[in-house]
Amino acid sequence: MFLRQYVPMAIAFVMGVVFAVQYYVPHPASEELLTTVNDWLIVVSGFSMVLGLASLMGSHWAKVRRGVPGWGYSLVVFLGILGTLAVGIASKGKMFAGEGLTLTALGWVYDNMLVPLQGTVFSLLAFFMASATFRTFRARNLEAGLLLTAAFLVMLGHVPLGEYIWDKVLGFLPPKADQVMGWIMNVPNMAAKRGILLGVGLGMIATSLKIIFGIERAYMGEGE
Amino acid sequence: MRKLAEKILSMDRRAIYLLMASAALLPFLTGPLGLPSRVSPEVKAVYDRIESLPEGSPFLISMDFDPASKPELYPMAEALVRHAFRKNLRVIGMNLWVTGSGMAEKILSDVAEEYGKKYGRDYVYLGWAPGATNVILGLGQDIYKTYPRDYYGNETSGMPVLEGVRTLKDIPFMVDLAAGDPGIETWVVYGKAKSMAGGCTAVIAPGMYAFLNSGQLVGLIGGMRGAAEYEALLKEMGKATVGMDIQSTTHVLILGLILLSNFAFFATRRRR
Repeated sequence: MFLRQYVPMAIAFVMGVVFAVQYYVPHPASEELLTTVNDWLIVVSGFSMVLGLASLMGSHWAKVRRGVPGWGYSLVVFLGILGTLAVGIASKGKMFAGEGLTLTALGWVYDNMLVPLQGTVFSLLAFFMASATFRTFRARNLEAGLLLTAAFLVMLGHVPLGEYIWDKVLGFLPPKADQVMGWIMNVPNMAAKRGILLGVGLGMIATSLKIIFGIERAYMGEGE
Repeated sequence: MRKLAEKILSMDRRAIYLLMASAALLPFLTGPLGLPSRVSPEVKAVYDRIESLPEGSPFLISMDFDPASKPELYPMAEALVRHAFRKNLRVIGMNLWVTGSGMAEKILSDVAEEYGKKYGRDYVYLGWAPGATNVILGLGQDIYKTYPRDYYGNETSGMPVLEGVRTLKDIPFMVDLAAGDPGIETWVVYGKAKSMAGGCTAVIAPGMYAFLNSGQLVGLIGGMRGAAEYEALLKEMGKATVGMDIQSTTHVLILGLILLSNFAFFATRRRR
């Protein structure tokens, strides 16, 4: 109880208060303290990646072991991780021999496997978005109609062909398509976004205070 | 009429996929559309800020994206680095997304080769370090403690390209190219750069206008369109300008689909 609850709470309280005050103290000692703790955090972040990898492998191993539907995809995760690791270790970071090749083996895997794979998966979004837009983007009521009109105008002003169509069809109007898009982005969009940002900011302050004073304890695994 | 509208509304999604693929391939068949993009004030502001920097000034570019956002942000990064090298700025490259570190290195080394720039003297690539927020905070305290070694393992202290640079405050201008978090917002909150601009995917661009309006960003390059505008300012047709043709045809197709589905929707509703 003492080590699992009171010690983490005490650390959170002391560090929270110290660094809230540190922000307002422009003394070299205060700056040095921030630099030192920051260095610690960078090191800890490095270890958290190892933890993340172990957790990823653990959860996928459980899927393979239990044979849940789609366990084959989990096997692909292992093949990817272990294969990349093997290539990295075996090549010892040496450059490829041969004309015009200035890559390490790991660099080759990155350029020829990771880059096209990620690019392909992301490109598929365009197809799903087109289908989803066709099925759901309908002016069912006033709010949906406003959203639809705004999206339509922004999309039209976003591409040269849209600007061309605007000029041909609505060229007699004083604003151009890109100006209409600019207004939507700079006025109604920004007003909404600013409200969200303020809300998020206030929420962050409230959550920080709750952690510092021990009201919020989810980070210790409480409630799981 | 009603039957036709109902048929349209229940169109097979594979037909939409086929239309989308055709629209994406169309510019390859027809050749370049040759339609220019009008340069927006947000993009022009970034260009003007780089133009205003004296020769030899340090310029930081953080390429916080991965291969998924390559079509939008890769040409943007290339255009910015090109501009910086043209102006003979000292380019400091880094990245906060581990899966993008190889791409960022390629951008810097390829463009540097194009302009005959020397590593360590004209540019440096610091690479990736874990803990994005702490990396940014660390750069605000001491660059050499956060990055004692660069991407290639060379010691950063004593590098001519970093002469006179100890913290972010010594860098007159920086640009963050981001595909999400950590990205522009993280730099705005934790970075202490003298002035900063952002470049991002079109999806997250609307969220960045608040920082633009508050003056926390001097300019914003949004999506492939922004990159194409920057290429137009540099008077150099690059990948973004070419890509805009594909984006044009696919966007217009989606707009057409929206109109079609709404006409069909109202046609069926009125009858009911």
